Formats: sequence, C-alpha cells, structure tokens
Amino acid sequence: MTSTCVQVGLAEIQVVKGVGTFQCSSVGSCVAVCAIDAKANIGGCATLALPKSIPGSAHERPAKFANTGVRELINMMERMGADRTRITAVLVGGADTMVGEDAELADLRIGSRNVSAAEEALAQQGVSIHARDVGGEQRRGFTFVLESGQVSLKTAAGERAWVNLRS
Amino acid sequence: MATATLTIEDIIKKTAELPTIPAAALAVMREADSATGTARTISQHLASDQALSARVLRLANSAYYGLPKQVTDLSEAVVLLGMRSVRNLAVVAATYPWMQKPLSGYALEPKALWSHSFAVAVGSQLIARRTNACDPDLAFTAGLLHNIGKVAMSVWLDRKLAAVLGLAQRDRLAFDEVERKLLGFDHAEVGAYLAETWNLPSSLIDPIRYHHNPSANSEPSPVVDAVHVADFLTMSMGYGLGGDGLRYNFCRDTLDRLTISPSDLDGLVNDFMDAYVVHERVIEEMNQAA
Repeated sequence: MTSTCVQVGLAEIQVVKGVGTFQCSSVGSCVAVCAIDAKANIGGCATLALPKSIPGSAHERPAKFANTGVRELINMMERMGADRTRITAVLVGGADTMVGEDAELADLRIGSRNVSAAEEALAQQGVSIHARDVGGEQRRGFTFVLESGQVSLKTAAGERAWVNLRS
Repeated sequence: MATATLTIEDIIKKTAELPTIPAAALAVMREADSATGTARTISQHLASDQALSARVLRLANSAYYGLPKQVTDLSEAVVLLGMRSVRNLAVVAATYPWMQKPLSGYALEPKALWSHSFAVAVGSQLIARRTNACDPDLAFTAGLLHNIGKVAMSVWLDRKLAAVLGLAQRDRLAFDEVERKLLGFDHAEVGAYLAETWNLPSSLIDPIRYHHNPSANSEPSPVVDAVHVADFLTMSMGYGLGGDGLRYNFCRDTLDRLTISPSDLDGLVNDFMDAYVVHERVIEEMNQAA
C-alpha cells in the first residue's frame, strides 16, 4: 500500500484509511484534532478555526467550526469504517495573542474558546482525548503518521516526537 | 546578548539585503494619493518599469478582477480598475519578490512573510469596508507593508530567536518589547524608518510604526487601528506565522474606536477567512508569474 502525505490546511478535514501521514505547518488560535481508530487503521485530522457555527457558513465548510467540524470528522471516519467507541484523539493549537486577563475580553481569546469547544464536541461524540498541547502564544505545526500512530510537534524550539496514538 | 549600542541607521546601513520597492511603484503610490494623480500620470509611471508593468497587467487580467476583456494597455487598466486598485496591484507586484523569501531571524519559512502580509492587507481592507472608518485601498496597502521592518531586522536576530523567546516568556513580554529591550527599537520602528527613506506618505508610515502599539500614536488613526486588528485576526488564523507566534499585545481600544464589539469578532473572523480564500487567487497568479 502506498503511503500518502496529506496536507491539512486551515478549516479542513482529511481522513485516510491504511497508511498515510497528515501534516500541518502552522496552527495559531485554531485547534487541530488528530484522531485514530487503531483497529480499523483509520485516521483523521481537522483544523477548526472558530468555536461555534455561524448560520449559513457551516454547511459549506463544517471544519471552520469546532461543533460542526468534530461531528463531521467522526462521521467521515465512520463512513470509512471506523467505530467511534474506539476512536481516540489529541488536540494541538489553541494559542492566543496577549489580550490580558480581563474577563470582559474573553471573546478575544479565540484559541482558549476553540479548545473548550473542541473538548465539548468530542465528549458529545463519545471520543476520549489522549493528550493536549494547547494554549500559550506559540505557533505549532504537527505531523501525524497513521501507521505508527506517532504525532510530532514543530515549534520555534524545533521538532519533537510528542505522543503515540496507538499506545 | 544585548546589542543596544546599535541604531536604526546602523541596521539599515549594515544590512545587505534590504527590501526595495521599484521607483516606478513608489511613484504610483504617491501619485494615487495626490490631488494631481490621473490615470495618465499613473500609467506613465508604471510604463517606466517594464517588469512591473507586465506583472500589473497580468494581475489586472486575472480571473479575480473579472474584466470583460483582455487589457493590454496600462491606461485602460487604470481607468477600468481605478487608480487605487492599480496602486495596490503595483505594491503587490513590487513587494512579492522579496516578501516570499524566508527570514531565519523570525523562523519565517519561504512565502510565510508574504502570506502573513497579504492576509493583513485583506483583513485591513475588510475592516475598512465594514466600518467605513478609512479608505479600504489605503488600508490594503498599509496592511501589506506593515512588517517590512522584519526583513531588515531578521539578520540581527539570526540564531538569537530561542534566547529572545526565552526572555519574552520569563518576563511575560511581547516580542516587540523584547526587540526594544535588546536593540533599543523594534521591527515596526525599523519598517517606518525604511518607509520614510522611500518618501511614503504618513498615512502609510504610521500603520507600519504603530501596528503593535496603536495607542502610542499621538492621534488615533483608523488605518492604524484597522491594521492592528487585521494583524490580530491573521495571527489567530495562523497565516504565515513565524517563531514570534502570537506573542504580541492586543489593544482593546482599537475595537472601540472602530465600533467593533468583541462579541462580533467571530463573525469578522468568518468573513475574513472567506475574503482570504477569494484573494488567494491573486497569490496563485503571482506564483505563476514568478
């Protein structure tokens, strides 16, 4: 089977069965969900830009929003043969600019809101979260190799192996 | 690590690869905002630079502008698109060659500075249109140029990024604050200095100088505010992020001055993403032309 390299852009969902590597070069406040059904060898990634869908926008690009994007990701994996009770996921991203601690400015913390919304959406889908590398002010990129389950992170400090979704 | 004895003039004099804008594009930028600017004078300036003219015509004929017929004459392009749109095309065509290069001092990969700057241009234009606070085309050009100082500063931060980020994290400082602490000035000030040497109008110099610190401007400026908010949107969406990431302060007052409610922010981000996708066609045209 030929391994494919899948670039995951902003507000996109990609699903692969068998072998494949997901790559995303830069996540800011968006939160990326990398998910796997290890038994079925099905993996997927979604890069979610905003927490909740805006009427009229989610239909065309469900991955723009955490609530619709997570649901679509799990549905796509299931259509390919995954079982949601076996799916586990990791979260990457959700950084914020330095907006201050004022509670009135909560709307400006898009990254934090994205992380909470993705966690809530995954819980609603019955998917457990294996690990998170979220928050702060840093840019993150990631690579997720479906066959090994290995997820690596790339930041300004360099690239490092992070977690294994098959262990 | 501190190199505070440097001056901005030193940085400019000692940096080998400074950004440049062709004289014809600078003349178009000045002419488009002057009272005496006409389609004829703009096209005359453009015609003095063949490479620039070719790029502007290629962009003008791109699917993005949807002109009813192929345009081969610069004067006709100016009449059909308008002086300020052509000004924007000239600036896009003039900056792309050096904005697509990587900047190791900021850990910016190839095309990342371009992608970020172009997104801020699109965002600034969107905010200007939505709020009617300033001229959308001026906001576009200001957004495109806001980070030119990084091109000159990059070599001075080379191999220091990890230390700069460590200091920023330890003292909870924004990246531009660390630049000022180490060098005595930041990339915004260096960019403004460059823009002054190009004799750009203050309406473009101010957004470059104050894009991270709009409140330092003696008089609040809607263009500065639009660029600041667009920069925030662009960093949040991760377009062309460097090693400095999202480590910049956000000035809440800009939203108040632009009459944007924080609760409207998600809608603005949503429209911004849509606008960026549409404008990406221009980037594709540039890639094909390069």
